[in-house]
Amino acid sequence: MNTHLNLLIGLAMGLNLIALGSSRLPSLILVVSAQGMLLGVMPLLLEHDWSWMLLAVVVATVGGKGLVIPALLRRAMRAANIERELEPLIGFVPSLLLGAGGMIAAVAFSQSLPLLPEHAGLLLVPGAMASILTGFILLIGRVKAISQVCGYLILENGIYLFGLLLIRSTPLMVEAGVLLDVTVGVFVIGIIVDRIQRAFDSLDTRKLTVLHE
Amino acid sequence: MSPGVLLLVAAGCLVAGIVSGLRWPRTWLTLTVIGTAAALGASLWVLLGSTDWEWLSDITVGGERLHLRLDALSALFLALLCVVGASGALYARGYWSDRQFPVSAPRGRAWWSSLVLCMGLVLTLSNGLHFLIAWELFTVSAYFLITLENKRPAVRAAGWLYLAASHVGTLVLFALFATLASHNGNWDLGPAMREQAGLAPLFWLALFGFGVKAGVFPLHVWLPSAHANAPSHVSAMLSGVALKMGVYGIMRFNGWLPVPPAAGWVVIGLGSLGALLGIAFAFAQNDFKRLLAYCSVENVGVILIGLGGALLAVTQGDAPWGRLALAGALLHVWNHGAFKSLLFFSAGSVLHATGTREMSRLGGLWRAMPWTAGLFALGALAVSGLPPLNGFVSEWLVYLGLLGAITSKAPAAWAAIPAVILLALAGALALASFAKAGAMIFLGAPRTQTAMRAHECGRWMLGPMIALAVVCAVIGLVPALVWPVVTRAAGSWHPAWALAESPAPLVTLGLVHVALALAVVGVAAGLWWKAQTNGVQRGLTWDCGYATPTARMQYTGGSFAGIGVGWFSWILQPERSLRRLRGVLPASAFRQERMPETVLERVIAPMGEGVLRVSSAVRRLQHGRLQAYVLYVVAGIAALGCLVLFGGKP
Repeated sequence: MNTHLNLLIGLAMGLNLIALGSSRLPSLILVVSAQGMLLGVMPLLLEHDWSWMLLAVVVATVGGKGLVIPALLRRAMRAANIERELEPLIGFVPSLLLGAGGMIAAVAFSQSLPLLPEHAGLLLVPGAMASILTGFILLIGRVKAISQVCGYLILENGIYLFGLLLIRSTPLMVEAGVLLDVTVGVFVIGIIVDRIQRAFDSLDTRKLTVLHE
Repeated sequence: MSPGVLLLVAAGCLVAGIVSGLRWPRTWLTLTVIGTAAALGASLWVLLGSTDWEWLSDITVGGERLHLRLDALSALFLALLCVVGASGALYARGYWSDRQFPVSAPRGRAWWSSLVLCMGLVLTLSNGLHFLIAWELFTVSAYFLITLENKRPAVRAAGWLYLAASHVGTLVLFALFATLASHNGNWDLGPAMREQAGLAPLFWLALFGFGVKAGVFPLHVWLPSAHANAPSHVSAMLSGVALKMGVYGIMRFNGWLPVPPAAGWVVIGLGSLGALLGIAFAFAQNDFKRLLAYCSVENVGVILIGLGGALLAVTQGDAPWGRLALAGALLHVWNHGAFKSLLFFSAGSVLHATGTREMSRLGGLWRAMPWTAGLFALGALAVSGLPPLNGFVSEWLVYLGLLGAITSKAPAAWAAIPAVILLALAGALALASFAKAGAMIFLGAPRTQTAMRAHECGRWMLGPMIALAVVCAVIGLVPALVWPVVTRAAGSWHPAWALAESPAPLVTLGLVHVALALAVVGVAAGLWWKAQTNGVQRGLTWDCGYATPTARMQYTGGSFAGIGVGWFSWILQPERSLRRLRGVLPASAFRQERMPETVLERVIAPMGEGVLRVSSAVRRLQHGRLQAYVLYVVAGIAALGCLVLFGGKP
């Protein structure tokens, strides 16, 4: 069971690196949706007695993270008619190096944490930290609003991984609520992106600095 | 009646005065006079009696019980506050009348009552928290009085500088009282704190915090512009009483707290420095209210010299010369309050009559304003420390104390010798400064049209001036009268000095002063009689052979003070610009001289600019770029994480 789970988390961590290295928006969105689906099926591996509730949550997560949110993002991208190229503030190679370094640091760091014995062999904690780090790198290092939303989603995925540690003590209902929040958030951002594009003819967040006071 | 009842009456009258001042000037004046008279009665009860008054009530304000205490030291200051408070109120009726200032006059009356009330509270409250509240209210009331004429930018700038400087001082006082409260476990103040030797370093906080308000030399930056730009009755109150609140704070807390061994040396050093440099700045001024303001810096220096002598004497076995120095300092508090108010009132009369503070635009006013000129001359004699007036008595006591230190060959002599020299030098410069001011304003020929159109001020303004002049003369002629009072106050500062035997020199000094005054009056009467019988022949002064001398061919303030300013140009740093006459058909020539506020412009302002530069560099971090903000968050979280991992153990 643990090996399957670790395989999935390892895949998600690999997707983090792909997200950092991808230079075009559609591929970034694709990576985010793939990672969302991977994360969505993880509760099935963690829980042994499947219930309707669990299945519903899994379906909702996979559907939300893997289909609905990416669809919303693609729609916003099309509606706002954005150029597909990402403009990095931190170049792709440095981002990759940072992400890889962060991943190694996360694995090393989680060795020193006092984890429960049943979590000790899992990659959950390093995976969560690496995802959060990746999210931050995307948030800091990319210019376009939609790429920042992607960074935010990867960050949220990291938090979701942390949440899986507590799957026995927190009801999945909470996780479902978080998912709903994220979906609504992305929906709203999609609308805002459209509005910003119409008002300013650009989605470059660097041009929004005049509003800082 | 006990002091408690009197103080209650006073407080009631002043609170009612705050309300009535806005509408009913006559009621306000009556209430203020009754209130100050009642408080004066209370302080005289304490000063002339033998017991202090103390009241610990069950009423709590801010969770602390109201604790009032009127001992001889605070009563001495309270009496001064009452005299200046009442005379300033009377003076303002003529000087800042409703007819001339329909908007600001009512406001000025209300704030005046509030200022007097708050200063009275500062003097009587014996709880640190309440003291701070009263101190802050006093500062704010004074601010609103300084900025009564808030349409003028110079007034607003002066008010702002005052407010900023005062709050630097208040901030330090917060540290002082908070440390005291945390050390004692309560906010109560009192002589009991004297026993705790660990509190000694707090002396430096008190010296700085109260020193800003007192105008101790390098901390005086707010003082000249505030005194010059405030209405004159407010200047009189600020200089005569508000500075003394700072002096009171310094005296109070080195009487109540243990002092570090270096305290006396530092205080006497600051005093000597302030006395000399204050009067040097005064000598260089062209604005007569600024001159008076810098002269206050000098007088605070004199007070500090006396206090420093007393502190040294306490650390060196309660030497009796310390008591003389302290008595001189305490009496100088009173004397400076009286003659400086008198001088500011006469300056106000000149300003009222001519509308200018520039001495170089005045001249020859004594013909138009004989009373003001006479009273100014009397105040000038007193402030220069000349017999037979009060300034001489207190400075003489300080001299006696310092000379006692020198003759006793105590270690304090090493501070006393330079202090005596600097004090003497300051006295000479004070005389020169007031010779300059008196000569520029009142003697010679009127330099401008405005000076020619001057008129004597009304009786509302003359009355308080005459009253203050009488106070100056009485203290000067009968100094033995005030000795018991000053000794009582010295006793509450340092209990070992409460013995009241009057030193014989004071009685002798009084007799000499009376004889001198009689001689002066006799000579004056003889001259007047001679002039009446023989008639006076009027003619021009020697006119250097000019065919048509004009009023502009007179000594100016700058030329009068030129040599003296030259001696101090290292600190005064005058800015001169000069265009000489050149060629056969010369163009116009001029010479301008400006006296900068050296400490403010050369020290404080560059420091402020440095702070601003750093701040604007820091402000660049807030630029609106979202990515960098996220980076700040990550860096913050990472730093916190590192702190938790490697930092303190819980």
